[in-house]
Amino acid sequence: MWILRLNMTDHSYKLEDILERYKHLGGRGLTSTLIYDEVDPQCHPLGPANKLVFAPGMITGTSAPTSARVSVGAKSPLTGGIKESNAGSGWAPALARMGIRALVVEGQPEGEGFWMAHIAMVDGKPQVAFMPADEYTGRDLYEVYPEIYARFGNKVHVAAIGTAGEFGYPNSGVAFNDMKRNPTRYSGRGGLGSVMGSKRLKAIVIDPTDGPGVHIADEGLFKQGQAKMREALMEHAITKPKGGLNSYGTAILINILNEAGGLPTRSFSAGRFEGAADVAGEAIFETNKERTGKEVYNHACSPGCIIQCSNTLYDKDGKEAVSCIEYESDWAFGPNCGISDLDAIGQLVTLCNAYGLDTIEAGVTIGVAMDSGMIPFGDAEGAISLMHEIGKGTARGRLLGMGAANVAKAFGNPRSPTVKGQAMPAYDPRAVKGIGVTYATTTMGADHTAGYTIAPEILSVGGASDPLKAEKGKADLSRAFQKTTALIDSSGHCLFIAFAILDIPSGFEGMVEEVNGMFGTNMTGDELVELGAEILRRERAFNEKAGLTKAHDRLPEFMHIEPLPPHNVVVGLPDEVYDAVYGEL
Amino acid sequence: MQIDVRLYGPLARYGGSDRNIHAKVIVDLDAGQTIRDLLYALDLPTEARGITFINGNLSAMPGLQPDLDHKLQDGDRVALFHEKSMWPFQYRHDVAATGEFREALQAREDGGLQSRYDQDAAKRP
Repeated sequence: MWILRLNMTDHSYKLEDILERYKHLGGRGLTSTLIYDEVDPQCHPLGPANKLVFAPGMITGTSAPTSARVSVGAKSPLTGGIKESNAGSGWAPALARMGIRALVVEGQPEGEGFWMAHIAMVDGKPQVAFMPADEYTGRDLYEVYPEIYARFGNKVHVAAIGTAGEFGYPNSGVAFNDMKRNPTRYSGRGGLGSVMGSKRLKAIVIDPTDGPGVHIADEGLFKQGQAKMREALMEHAITKPKGGLNSYGTAILINILNEAGGLPTRSFSAGRFEGAADVAGEAIFETNKERTGKEVYNHACSPGCIIQCSNTLYDKDGKEAVSCIEYESDWAFGPNCGISDLDAIGQLVTLCNAYGLDTIEAGVTIGVAMDSGMIPFGDAEGAISLMHEIGKGTARGRLLGMGAANVAKAFGNPRSPTVKGQAMPAYDPRAVKGIGVTYATTTMGADHTAGYTIAPEILSVGGASDPLKAEKGKADLSRAFQKTTALIDSSGHCLFIAFAILDIPSGFEGMVEEVNGMFGTNMTGDELVELGAEILRRERAFNEKAGLTKAHDRLPEFMHIEPLPPHNVVVGLPDEVYDAVYGEL
Repeated sequence: MQIDVRLYGPLARYGGSDRNIHAKVIVDLDAGQTIRDLLYALDLPTEARGITFINGNLSAMPGLQPDLDHKLQDGDRVALFHEKSMWPFQYRHDVAATGEFREALQAREDGGLQSRYDQDAAKRP
């Protein structure tokens, strides 16, 4: 088992045996620990001292269901703190099966050109070839990916940046291939694409042929755990085949949040959008049925997934227009921009994939630009045109590529729906109060994937009637959720297993057995959650040294003073609640 | 009294739409009538619905329907979702809910910390 280091300063590489203390880490646990151990928190995110780390999860590369996740970590150019952004792609198990537990990209070359790295097994070990990649720069990734596949063959997996990463935007992701070899699976959040771009690395192509595979210490225990996990996913109404996610995708949440009055509309000025039903998951499913003449269920983003939640939108001729329109992407360009045209939303998502942008940051940025008067709300053509400007790097495009918080500053607009500089996802914390505590306090900046919950018995659920205690309970819950999320992000499982293992306790047992089977350990569920807590402590310590303190664990001021219709509520929590989340970790 | 009813996905057919997207209907009820009466008027069996809202307040989830006797008021907006619809705990934690729903959650041993409330029943009959 190795850590593979690519030194971009001189285009050399080094294969190191993994250190004992990293052996039981994976995914987010490994990326965040390596960043904590090796990166100066005060470094410039785009300078030579930052490192970009890719790590498959603990059990990624095995036959465990829904476990093909990769975590990408670095110091974030968007938040200035630590970042891990997680994606599902065949790239992740491919890296794991080559025996590579982490890929660390470091240094920075002189000169203007871009490079790519090709990693393949030679004599039982991964070997790296660096080659010029200028022919792929400045271009649409939907054109670039087929060329890379034509050159290296269909068995490779590809991670790459788009023009957003080349330009160094704080909004820029790292794209991974989907099952059809398109650049649609993203570690989108936090500007990791520009960290890769700052190292002049355009793409990492990996060929897992002849890889040693992953070693499972206790096959029997692992198989037992895997079977329990599979059973839970197959049984739960949300995760099972033809269940909620497989039928309607994550965009199933649009109508729900709209009715709840928590769907951020027109840049977080209301909680309901009159056009919501026209762009929701149900509308996508029905539109596809009308356009293709059959019921279309969703597909997997990566090999071995049971949940299979990735949707496709078909165009009026019944041809594939875009995949995937996630809830967050749908919302960011739809209700958040006052746009109710599904095809336009599909086009905007496609442009994010083509240029290498995070859909949440891009949509919220366009929303802030609309709120600031650059173009009117509901102007789909205007939004498409702005997205092209971002992708082509015009002066206005470069401004928008800086993300929502910076655009709000440029226009003197105090309505900046961001935390730690990162755009807020699709749950207004004035209406969905529980998620607000996590938005404010997570080490990542506003993030809807930072607070998933599993196994009620390991969380201290309140029930106290004293209001102070009840508010303290909000901090306890958020902290517990963040710990369990750090664990799932490390395991290699997709976060969506949480829906099933929360309601079906044998699913959580299965996950514990998978990890113990993998490493030959004997950890309890509580000990694994404590590992999640330890990961959070490292991330928090990095952030504190980088200058992010509890004063940054706050929601934007306008959410404390502008009531959100229809419930007409503001964020009303005292600062002590936010401070208690990490104060008592 | 008039109730503003929103029906989503496959439930849209109870509102007269043949597309499984969305239907909006106004239902006339007598003063003092309840969600149970509304479902009867729509000819919609209660087991066919999942997540339910009354004026943006969560009133029912799959496996937990404490709202059947909720008395409706003139002008109320009631939203009815199909069984495949979902709203995982972490995305609805601490949202506005009806009094009956909050009490029903508090009465549960798990404090309501589940994504759905029908999985237990399926697992342990």
